[in-house]
Amino acid sequence: MPQQSGTLVQFSGKRGELFGRLLRGYLLMLPTLGLYRFWLTTTKRRFYWQNTAIGGDRLEYTGSAVQLLVGFLFALGIFLPIYLVFFYLSFQSSTIATVGYGAAALLLWFLSGYAIYRGRDFRLSRTLWRGIRFDQRGSALGYAIRRFFWSLLVLVTGGLAFPFMAGNLWRYRYTHTWFGDRQFSFAGSWKTVAWPFYRAWLVFAVCAGLVILAFTFAPGADARIASIGWGTLVLIPVAGLCFLYYRSRETSRMFSAVKLGGASVDIRVKARSLLGQYLLYGVCLLGALIVMGIVGFAIAQMFNSSLRGGDFSAANIARAGWVGLVLGAGGYLATLSAFTLLGEVFIDCGFWMLVSRYATITNLESLDDVRATGEDRSVAGEGLADALNVGSF
Amino acid sequence: MPLLARYSDGTVAAIRDVVLAVDQSVAQPELIIADTTSYDEIDRWPLDKVFSLPSHQSELRVGVEDRPAGARLVFTGPEPVSVAHSIFPELHRYRRREAGRQLRILGFSTLALVSVIVAYVVGVPLIANRVTAVVPPQWEARLGDAAQGQIMQIIGAEGGFAVCDYDPQSLANAAIARFTAEVMDGTNSPFTPKIWMVKSEVPNAFALPGGSAFYFSALLDQTHSADEFAGVMAHELGHVVHRHGMEGLIASSATGLLVGFVLGDMTNISVAAAVGATLIDSRFSRDAEREADRFAAETAARLGFDPAALATLLERIARDDQMSQSLAFLSTHPLTAERRVALEAMARDATPSAHGPVFTDAEWRAIKSMCDRVVPSQMPRPDKTPSVRVQPMPSN
Repeated sequence: MPQQSGTLVQFSGKRGELFGRLLRGYLLMLPTLGLYRFWLTTTKRRFYWQNTAIGGDRLEYTGSAVQLLVGFLFALGIFLPIYLVFFYLSFQSSTIATVGYGAAALLLWFLSGYAIYRGRDFRLSRTLWRGIRFDQRGSALGYAIRRFFWSLLVLVTGGLAFPFMAGNLWRYRYTHTWFGDRQFSFAGSWKTVAWPFYRAWLVFAVCAGLVILAFTFAPGADARIASIGWGTLVLIPVAGLCFLYYRSRETSRMFSAVKLGGASVDIRVKARSLLGQYLLYGVCLLGALIVMGIVGFAIAQMFNSSLRGGDFSAANIARAGWVGLVLGAGGYLATLSAFTLLGEVFIDCGFWMLVSRYATITNLESLDDVRATGEDRSVAGEGLADALNVGSF
Repeated sequence: MPLLARYSDGTVAAIRDVVLAVDQSVAQPELIIADTTSYDEIDRWPLDKVFSLPSHQSELRVGVEDRPAGARLVFTGPEPVSVAHSIFPELHRYRRREAGRQLRILGFSTLALVSVIVAYVVGVPLIANRVTAVVPPQWEARLGDAAQGQIMQIIGAEGGFAVCDYDPQSLANAAIARFTAEVMDGTNSPFTPKIWMVKSEVPNAFALPGGSAFYFSALLDQTHSADEFAGVMAHELGHVVHRHGMEGLIASSATGLLVGFVLGDMTNISVAAAVGATLIDSRFSRDAEREADRFAAETAARLGFDPAALATLLERIARDDQMSQSLAFLSTHPLTAERRVALEAMARDATPSAHGPVFTDAEWRAIKSMCDRVVPSQMPRPDKTPSVRVQPMPSN
């Protein structure tokens, strides 16, 4: 095989710009009662797509907010019957209700697989590069069934079946992905991720085992409680590190197994780069929360001073109640927004940056003769994902 | 200086650099797209059919009508971008039209959502009322049965669940049963309520869907007169008569649907959805409280006890709780002062009846001492207790 010089993927997006777009979108969601979220998703995707250039040509996102809105309305049609079933179940005896709720939970889990696939279809079919559209075929139902039963197997085997699930689902996704009339292929399998997964699994299992041992042989109740406390303190970072290690390896190896005809991609994402993004997120989140706490406290002090003045009239008490309510609701919304907003800026955007920074594409020229296929105008694609809260990017 | 751009025709992925020129000689001016080296003409785009697309700030990306959807010209850099802007006359109009369209859609859908919410807030008590009317009473009773264990567990965890007096023939229970029957007389309610006096440290009383109500011993301790007792009982039976537990369930289901729509999380798993739903539901609960108060006042007029005694008891309980005063508009219960005014107004409007005292002195003394000698260990078996309870309608 002739040695090809790789083409780099360039990402020119800045976190500050994304932050600005998100902040504006979050604020606009207030007067529009949340409806602006469809426009925010669109502007966010434009940011990612427009800033990503392959071979010097930027990606283009052709989807619109109205399509997302209409898709969401479609999804409501699916949810209303489920809602009625939930309502009916609440009248039944506890056995029937328990079984019914369990079945409904399984149905929602199943539907989320369907929604994820349709959402991916929506995004791909609205991605344009060099005038040619990506697409996803295959059956969302088929994907949902696979994901559903694989995830049950993963649960039953205590996670050991996970590499098989990952291999299977990655293969399904990518062998049904198209660029124009050219089909992607996937050279990976469970073996691609087996080693990093089982290594991470084993490290976590050994640590968890040690904690259980410490708990079992701890002398006395106090020592037991201490062993639980210290155990949790150790296990959470271990689990986080194992997750980041695995995620970096899965991203690198699985993406590198994706081929598009003669073109292939090579990605090397390091676990420590991922960890860096999370640490940055943690620091900024902490800073944001501290600042918000100080501001909230200052406002509360300002209004409380009138109460401390001894004016206990009903109107004053009621006003204090309103101030408390506004502070509480505002603080709640601000805190929630800080978590998601900074999460998008540092973790999601950081991940996109890492993947594009460390991606090299080989034999990009082989795509020159790819031809376009017909348009995909289906809009029902992503509404369900939005309704189920499983949307991404 | 020639105007250069990146060109893709929307049918093949091969992209090329092109040089552009405007042909003014034809009736509709056209843009000539030609190869940079050979100057061979590739395509001609009618200038007024060219529209811009959202793109990175460093470039201008345009498409054209009547060509494949992916046909693009991309101008990069400030100089080519500004030249391109001056060439295409319709670019700004297209962009403005699109922006206007988006704004209109967003505005109209927000208006639609606002009207849905207004219709909901106004209409849900009506809807819940109507729906409740068609829900079979047996369903409501079964609903009570379903959560029976839960309530007992919750109360049991607080230090033992014990019914104060099991004997239905005792003076106290007989008096309560007679009072209940008098209250329910003529209400056309499908339920035959039973009131349970229960040992508990929490001063509370609540009605359950399907007909019955609990009255906790801690509340009984604070109840100083037979009229206060009758007022609370009549209030709780008002919840039963109006089937508020059922209405509340229907209303909160509808609220969940609405909040899910606003937040885009139909599963209502997120905290935001839960908090939003609670805030809206509390308004509905307060309407239910007012309705139960009205029922209590009407009953008081009919049976001849003091309707304001209920408010007296409420004030006694809430007196030390400044916080609950200031946040009362948030809670499920209206301000007690407001309730007192309303109760007294309703009492003034009613014609007092000639009915005698609702409880004799002996009966009231028996009721008051019902829970004095209870050992909190007699957990009644769920299958022995009558078909009622659940979904506490917290009240008092």
